[in-house]
Amino acid sequence: MKKVTGLVSISMMLVLSLFLAACGNGGSEDEGSGDSNKVTAWAWNINVPVLEKAAEKFKEENPDFELEVVEMGTDDVYSKLTTGLQAGGKGLPDIVLVEDDRVQGYMSAFPDAFVNVSDKGFDEMKDSFPSYKTELLSKDGAMYGFPFDGGPTGVFYRTDIFEEAGVNAEDIKTWDDYIEAGKTIKEKTDKAMIGLDLNGDDGLYRMMLNQQGTFYFDDEKNVALTSEESKKAMEVQQTLNEEGLVKETVGWDAWISAMTSGDVATAPSGAWLYGSITQQGKDTSGKWGLIELPAFEEGGNRASNLGGSNYMIPSASNNADLAYDFMEFFSTNKDVQLSAMEGGLFPSLNTIYDNEAFTKEVEFFNNQPIWSLLADEMDSIPSVNYTGDYAVAKDEAVKAQSEIANGKAIEEALKASEDRLKNRIQ
Amino acid sequence: MNRAKRFPYLFAAPAILLFLAFTVYPIIASFVLSFQERVGGEYVFAGLKNYTRLWNDDIFWTAMQNTFIIFVVQVPVMIILAMVLANVLNNQLLKLKGFFRVSFFLPAVTSLVAYSILFSIMLQEEGIINTALSYIGITAIPWLSDPFWAKASIIIAMTWRWTGYNMVIFLAALQNIPEDLYEAASLDGANKFKQFFYITVPQLKPVILFAGILSTIGTLQLFDEPFNLTGGGPADSTMTLGLYIYQSGFEYFDFGYASAIAYAVVVMVGILSIIQFKIAGDD
Repeated sequence: MKKVTGLVSISMMLVLSLFLAACGNGGSEDEGSGDSNKVTAWAWNINVPVLEKAAEKFKEENPDFELEVVEMGTDDVYSKLTTGLQAGGKGLPDIVLVEDDRVQGYMSAFPDAFVNVSDKGFDEMKDSFPSYKTELLSKDGAMYGFPFDGGPTGVFYRTDIFEEAGVNAEDIKTWDDYIEAGKTIKEKTDKAMIGLDLNGDDGLYRMMLNQQGTFYFDDEKNVALTSEESKKAMEVQQTLNEEGLVKETVGWDAWISAMTSGDVATAPSGAWLYGSITQQGKDTSGKWGLIELPAFEEGGNRASNLGGSNYMIPSASNNADLAYDFMEFFSTNKDVQLSAMEGGLFPSLNTIYDNEAFTKEVEFFNNQPIWSLLADEMDSIPSVNYTGDYAVAKDEAVKAQSEIANGKAIEEALKASEDRLKNRIQ
Repeated sequence: MNRAKRFPYLFAAPAILLFLAFTVYPIIASFVLSFQERVGGEYVFAGLKNYTRLWNDDIFWTAMQNTFIIFVVQVPVMIILAMVLANVLNNQLLKLKGFFRVSFFLPAVTSLVAYSILFSIMLQEEGIINTALSYIGITAIPWLSDPFWAKASIIIAMTWRWTGYNMVIFLAALQNIPEDLYEAASLDGANKFKQFFYITVPQLKPVILFAGILSTIGTLQLFDEPFNLTGGGPADSTMTLGLYIYQSGFEYFDFGYASAIAYAVVVMVGILSIIQFKIAGDD
């Protein structure tokens, strides 16, 4: 008798403990904690020290405050966020980092999943941020997140390669100039002008769309893949490819190493590229320069954005008020935002742009004051209508880009992608 | 029921509970989910909408086509290779059998993600493989940027990884074939090739069927290699059903649709398995 009940209880214990182990692991480390002074945040690599420093500062005025940062890769944050939101808000942190292009997707797929920060008073701070940032975080007039870093664009170029080819970067004003410079560089140094992942990512295309004031969707949410701007952007890429100025780089690592090892002369990208170049190309210090993106016509817009991230508070958080207080502090405190620059993040808080950190000469970049070049762009960056269908649109845009690279006519490829996209989002 | 009869059930109870919770429940829940769609954050009943959408979805058919192309090429190649290797390793005269068996099996214990990433590095335009090919005079192959070669890359990677696994299964089965069959055959004048085709292969039929069905299930769910190696490949040329399920759920937030695709895959696996049983069973 005793033996059997003993066995029953042991086996029940085993099952229960397995359940707890499975659920407990997920719950304990990242559920919005019940402890009212502790706040959990999910963020990836370079953002972690910024959060931690901010927490220390915040503690000075709020001694009981505690921040737990769970560091994980970008994709992991999104997977867990999606899963948690899909499960109705389980296992979510109090604060989560979300890139610019993902915000609208989450907000439209999971309405009411994020705290309305306008209600909590963040609107007072709106003027401290460029409009393109506050707009992408807004829905029906209210903001649902805190702008953090931006990706104002520029063409990062290798001064040593340009010098060898006898090209002056300041002379590059339009994309045609850029292509001409590329041809000269190819002729004189045999280096490619740019590294592109033609089958996997359309970063350059997106920058060019944004620069021209549009995106995959226009302001009225219509699919805009066959717009004039889109065709022009694809034409620039096609010309670069046909003239042999493109080095095919598959994946992030290949892209970065092409730059740092000097296989490509330029890398048009967002300000955050600074972090990757300085970390992975330490021995290229002093050999870099930065110019704005070339315009499509003389005198045209040269300001654009690629990347950038924001902090959002899931509604499922148990500690939303404290999280809000911390994030309001984090987003508007000058010292915190300046410290972000150490990791190569470009703050979108415009009240700090006259600080010495922005006006100084950057040694790695041949003593050019690159931060003020980027800061000056911020107000001219057009807003982007990402919409909730961004992910599907990007998939189709990359397909079109890939087909064009493999020989298909631009108009045809864009039309096919546009039709498919319209089908997929109905 | 008296205590003695209850005993086995008590022992099985933990496993059954886990099975119910982590296998049966998700199967039922995802089946239900496949008939729902997300409207403004809530899941509402949508009847067969996901399934009709599936029927009209070009990407689904492309994914199915790609999955089948990969399946039709990779599985037979791998099984034949595994059989041949197993046969060679079973040979009495071979030295260092242990070493060979371990080396061929080793790929099967590598992490799917790790090996896919490594292959993607090796298959770059200026990667190791193209460099090696250049030594024998073959110009660089665009492994990952050409639709045809991207599929080839996936097939090569999968064959590298799984052949050893199947080889070990065949090796075990070969041990069970009585030696006298081979002796009788060689007395009758059959050479090694004839012995292989007329004795080994027929004797291995149940194992071939087993390996075939496992490979079918695995290939139809193919996800890790396309995800890590090609990301769906140049313009969806390596988009597979497994990858499409993942994308529909995690990138497009369309979990109902993803579940519908998953069940379509279940039906396909079922049909293919029945076909394989019939082919093996008739003889």
